[in-house]
Amino acid sequence: MLGTLTLLFNLSLRNIVRYRRRNFFLFAAIAIAVGGTTLSNSLIRGWQVDMLQTAVSGLSGHMKMQAPGFADDPSLQHAFSAGTSIALDPQLPIVGIAKRINLPAVISSERETRGVAMIGIDPADEGISLYRDFEIAGETLSGPEDGRLLIGKALAETLQTKVGRRVVIIVEGADGRSRERGYRIAGVFDAPMEWSETMLAFTGLEALQQALGTQRLVDPITELSVVLQSDEDRPQAAAQLVRQHPQLVVKDWRQMQPQIAEIVDLVDATMVIWFFLIMSALTFGLVNTLIATVMQRTQELGMLRALGMNKQLLLIQVVMECVGIMIVGVVAGLLLGVALVFALGDGIDLSAFSQSVEAFGMSTLLKPVLTVEDLLLYGGLSVLVGLFASFFPARRALKISPLMAMNR
Amino acid sequence: MTDSQTQSAPVVLCQNVQRIYQQESVPVYALRGASLAIEAGEFVSLAGPSGSGKSTLLNVIGGLDGFDAGEVTVGGTNLGALNAAELAEMRLNKVGFVFQAYNLIPVLSARENVEFILQLQGVSSQERQERANGALQSLGLGELGDRRPGELSGGQQQRVAIARAIVTEPVLLLADEPTANLDSKTTSELLEVLQQLNQQQGMTIVTATHDPIVMSYTSRQVAMMDGEIHQDSAMAT
Repeated sequence: MLGTLTLLFNLSLRNIVRYRRRNFFLFAAIAIAVGGTTLSNSLIRGWQVDMLQTAVSGLSGHMKMQAPGFADDPSLQHAFSAGTSIALDPQLPIVGIAKRINLPAVISSERETRGVAMIGIDPADEGISLYRDFEIAGETLSGPEDGRLLIGKALAETLQTKVGRRVVIIVEGADGRSRERGYRIAGVFDAPMEWSETMLAFTGLEALQQALGTQRLVDPITELSVVLQSDEDRPQAAAQLVRQHPQLVVKDWRQMQPQIAEIVDLVDATMVIWFFLIMSALTFGLVNTLIATVMQRTQELGMLRALGMNKQLLLIQVVMECVGIMIVGVVAGLLLGVALVFALGDGIDLSAFSQSVEAFGMSTLLKPVLTVEDLLLYGGLSVLVGLFASFFPARRALKISPLMAMNR
Repeated sequence: MTDSQTQSAPVVLCQNVQRIYQQESVPVYALRGASLAIEAGEFVSLAGPSGSGKSTLLNVIGGLDGFDAGEVTVGGTNLGALNAAELAEMRLNKVGFVFQAYNLIPVLSARENVEFILQLQGVSSQERQERANGALQSLGLGELGDRRPGELSGGQQQRVAIARAIVTEPVLLLADEPTANLDSKTTSELLEVLQQLNQQQGMTIVTATHDPIVMSYTSRQVAMMDGEIHQDSAMAT
């Protein structure tokens, strides 16, 4: 049987070469469809990865720990100790942990007043958050003891203030009373995400703790953000944190940003559906051409039946030819797709649509992302499409009567 | 019937074979009770004008076409009892075909065309090559084995087709107008080949033709008319 299959394989290959002009156009159509879909899906995958990264780096991390009641009443009265230990299994590697005070506040300049999130940070910890991507005009915060302020460029424009000027921030203290304090602006940051420029104001964690007072805790924080090496570790890591700190609330980024989570989930299905739509359109042309190929060879296929080739072998031969054409086209298409992805490696600048893309949780630079898993998926699905497409010419071939073929 | 029992029996036995085609609901009788017995080692021509039924009878004997009444036995096998898959198996193992249009596989070389049929039979690689080379050499094509059909003349292609037909050592070689596409010189050469196969190897050959030259090479001439055996030289003697 193996020898017969080898024979049929050789026969199929030679038939593919035999009709090389027509098959070239088929290969080209398949390659362009697969290559184009690979590129478009890599952009969709890039969008997904970007959304995920943006969601994780936007202060929430993969997981965030807070005191119970903080979500309903975000104040220092729902704080916990900065000494809270994080100890995950070694197989769940942690990239970084950031301890913060994050409270609603009012910021006022001489001309304007706005609501912001007043965030006390240790700048050394913030390599895991959007803080790392800030382009800062002026000076950055020197450390957790730095009592100066870092605000976004958009907020500075709204407040009509600048580096070196003072603003007043009102925030609720540890005793529940509002604390009003003047801050000098150390720097103004330009962020990829415009919302962070308008909504966030940073100062040193220790400086903020001192400014707000410490009623019960020596070293209070309101949130502890954890970034893992892989999002796949998140459910297991979250479960471990819940076990270790039952007195705290552990939320992951999916719970904090459910809309982004839904979009991320939809992307996988969207990519497969998009691929199938393109390949389905291609299948019509493929089936048509393959049937024409069979019809053109009616006499030859009938002769094979006349000589004693059974229907199963004839079916295998036709399917081999169809799938062979598909495989060659798909491999060429995947190579084309990879080349296009490399060509677009620097990404597409979407800054002209910054408000729209931010609404989708994206940054303004869309980079294509191509994974081996995606390539294997496209390859596998394409072969399945080829098998499906081969059904129709194969059925036509099986209907060929050797007698009718001989009499043509 | 076992193979040992069939040794003395005719290679082909047709009894009152009828073949009726429906053309727009009108029955057309291609064979009207044709009866014919062909012994091993005979070289038989089925002759007659177009529509006489000679090709139909050849196709029925070869298992390419069915029949509506009567009985057909080839090499001891009752064709009426076989389904499509069994008929294909019978054609593969018992019958060699030579067609008017050669019908070689264009993407295979002459040798591969001959080997192809052996591969379908499951013959091992080494034996396949030996038998294919032997068949080609016996037909004077030893040097042309690597050429593809498109690189061969009509006569050479038909010789390859004969090599393909005989390489399986069939009990019966059927040739449908085998020289219709050939010039007279090539026709004579090819008929001599068939005659040698018949006389030297005892190959049973049945050919459908309307060419008197072909008939002159055969040992028995069967004339058909309107789907019936009109004249049989074996009966005349």
